Amino acid sequence: MASDQIFVGLEIGTTKICVIVSEGRSDGTISILGVGETPSRGVRKGEIVDLNTVTECIREALLDAEEKTNVEIGNVWVAITGSHLRSFNNRGTFILPEDRDLILPEDLQTVETNAKEVSLPAANSFLHTIIQSYHVDGNRNVLSPVDMVGSRLEADFHIIHGVKTRIQNTLRCIEALNLGIEDVVLSSLASALVVLTQQQKDLGSLVIDMGGGTTDYLLYLDGAVRHSGVLALGGDHITNDISLGLRLPIARAELLKIQEGSASDPELSEDGLISLKNDPGFHGCEIDRKSLDTIIHLRVREIFELIRDDIESTGEGMLGMLGAGVMITGGCAKLRGIATLAEDVFELPVQLTRAKEVGGATQTFENPQFSTAIGLTKYAMAVSANIPDESFLQRVFGGLFRRRQR
Amino acid sequence: MSTETKETMRRILVGVGNAGVAVLDRIAIEHPGMKGLLVINNDEDSLAASIVKRRIAFPLGDLGEAFLAIEEEFGLAISGAVSVTFCGGLGGECSSFLLPSLVARTKAAGVTTLACVGMPFGFEGRQRRDLATAALEKLHELCDGVAIIDNDRLSGGAPSTAAIREAFQIADQTLQNALMALQGMLSSSGPVKITRADLVSVLGISGAMTHFGYGQAEGGNRLHEALEMALKSPLLAHSEKGTKGGALKEVSTLLLLLQGAQDLSFAEVQRTVSELESLAGEECRIKVGVHADRSPGAPLEIFILASSGVERPALKHSEPAVSRPLVREAVAPRPVLQPIVPPLSPEPMPVAEKPNKAAEPPSSSRPSKAVKNSANPVKQTQGVLDLDTYQRGRFDKSEPTIVAGEDLDTPTFMRKGIKLGSPSRR
Repeated sequence: MASDQIFVGLEIGTTKICVIVSEGRSDGTISILGVGETPSRGVRKGEIVDLNTVTECIREALLDAEEKTNVEIGNVWVAITGSHLRSFNNRGTFILPEDRDLILPEDLQTVETNAKEVSLPAANSFLHTIIQSYHVDGNRNVLSPVDMVGSRLEADFHIIHGVKTRIQNTLRCIEALNLGIEDVVLSSLASALVVLTQQQKDLGSLVIDMGGGTTDYLLYLDGAVRHSGVLALGGDHITNDISLGLRLPIARAELLKIQEGSASDPELSEDGLISLKNDPGFHGCEIDRKSLDTIIHLRVREIFELIRDDIESTGEGMLGMLGAGVMITGGCAKLRGIATLAEDVFELPVQLTRAKEVGGATQTFENPQFSTAIGLTKYAMAVSANIPDESFLQRVFGGLFRRRQR
Repeated sequence: MSTETKETMRRILVGVGNAGVAVLDRIAIEHPGMKGLLVINNDEDSLAASIVKRRIAFPLGDLGEAFLAIEEEFGLAISGAVSVTFCGGLGGECSSFLLPSLVARTKAAGVTTLACVGMPFGFEGRQRRDLATAALEKLHELCDGVAIIDNDRLSGGAPSTAAIREAFQIADQTLQNALMALQGMLSSSGPVKITRADLVSVLGISGAMTHFGYGQAEGGNRLHEALEMALKSPLLAHSEKGTKGGALKEVSTLLLLLQGAQDLSFAEVQRTVSELESLAGEECRIKVGVHADRSPGAPLEIFILASSGVERPALKHSEPAVSRPLVREAVAPRPVLQPIVPPLSPEPMPVAEKPNKAAEPPSSSRPSKAVKNSANPVKQTQGVLDLDTYQRGRFDKSEPTIVAGEDLDTPTFMRKGIKLGSPSRR
């Protein structure tokens, strides 16, 4: 097996750190060879707060993956998230010189550079500049303007940026293990690559990846990314709410959430009590089911409403244009009643989804918790397929944070 | 839509010229949900690159005719506004001409009009400085209040060896902070408010230089750190000796706004005022606003806006029907490179001498020490002890997740005040 067809995705999550090793196939799909996993420590809300502990956790997950796949890992693709990540849409314009009317490949780079000429906060760096569409002399939605004749080239981009030092801290953990970093990818972008089909992207979809520490979301319209965001809220908040509301230890609250929790409307919940057994250091008790459901429902509804309000604040009515509806993935997708609640908030059809068009270890890709890490390897595959060689990549796209994604 | 959102939408920020566009772009990036942003420029590339959604292209050519071309669109953009705050760098042809014309148009609509403008760096040349000075005079004449950021005074932040790009970035950042301070004061919701009349009385002093400082901090030492940061802001630290807050020695009036969590204490407000009084002297009139309805853990923000000179007596009121012809006169065709707009009117803008009913009666002149002692200018209200202790559990020591001023680490049911049944122990 050629080593350049093996892709390794690393997700440093708040709940778990996982490493997915995939093999790229000639038909453009990927096959999962194995997954290394370890519970996460030293990460809060998707961001690193204890560098040494996280480094040790990554080492454990890598060793686990190497052992299961018999692949020696040298380079990884890394997912990034955190509330410091921001995004906006912008248009770049390039007027062709008077003595030339043929659009050249380098003009695409110029128009991208022009789109990025905005004053970011001094501490921030660009993470992704994602093309939405090109326009040539007012002709909208041109797919590939190279070799076309025109005088004015414009391009709309979705630009994602974040605090440089926070991104660097993630990379330092990996560098400490003498691993190479292929690229850094926004978590929701990676998830969307494997949970959405091209048709769903064209029709318009909102992907919500609800993890332990963060909820990442990405909106596709007409096949292009139109909006994205990160909320530093996730499953850990639900657990914390249960722990405080029902006066339970965190571990007990987490177990209760997984085994009995529901995000459904508490008015529709069954009456009754849930009995919690004695444990060392914990006296058993009985919990009112309605109270549990109320806590979960309010938190999840609030998260969905924040996402809805953020998208609506653009004033472009994007939610009304989503033909394929809302896709929920991530660990919280397993919460009972979450789809019904999302349908109520977004007033759109909702699907609980997981990685698609993936082969290999079935248990892995059927678990929505692994969507981001699997997506990283799909991203790696797509980048490798689109770009002929690395020197070209370096020349055209520059440094670590400037890789372009279609 | 909540009342608060409606209010936010009705306070409009207008960025004019390249500097104005750059500053509003920064604000749009840092506050993605912020409403009421509008940019106007004659530089097509700058407008195309801007991320502000509402943009008006100011046509090239004769400035008077160009203004008439955009006047209707601008009027629509500001319709229903309670206040319009303009920002831009003076000295450029577009902003120096356009700002006074837009201000006149806004005043004609009877809207409270403020401007926050940057004066050019010395190295930008005398002609630019002259153009800026003339435009500034016009703004003083027309606006309810003008905050001036003199870029040359920012040298404390950007030493002479600083890269030119860096110098402009610092200027933009300062303009942005000043603009956000003005917005913060305009939206101040108490318990101790800064009124629009207060703002106008400070910023409406013609020819006076504005001193501005901003600080933010959280944690146990938040007051000291935030105040230190504010007093070290370039426009406040500026003085011959370069000491912190040195510029306050020159000021006659000072607005202080403290924004923070519900646990912001009287002692903290008192200490801030005492510190500023010791720096500014007893002659300085200090007006305090306290906005303390944020969730626990929210950072403390201190805004200081000060001015030297004698206070303006009251808000100006314009009568739309009377002042409208003034706009036409302001934009009468003229040679493109004339230094500044021709006089808007042989007569001053109609000014009502009566104070605004909604506004607190401002003092008519700089108060003497005796007056200051006898009539306390700071309207203080008794605080209410918050007996609802919000808990954050496992997020107690982590960076708070603040959205729209609410700490979302606190359980949703607690913030919504929903009572739950207690678990029954065996």
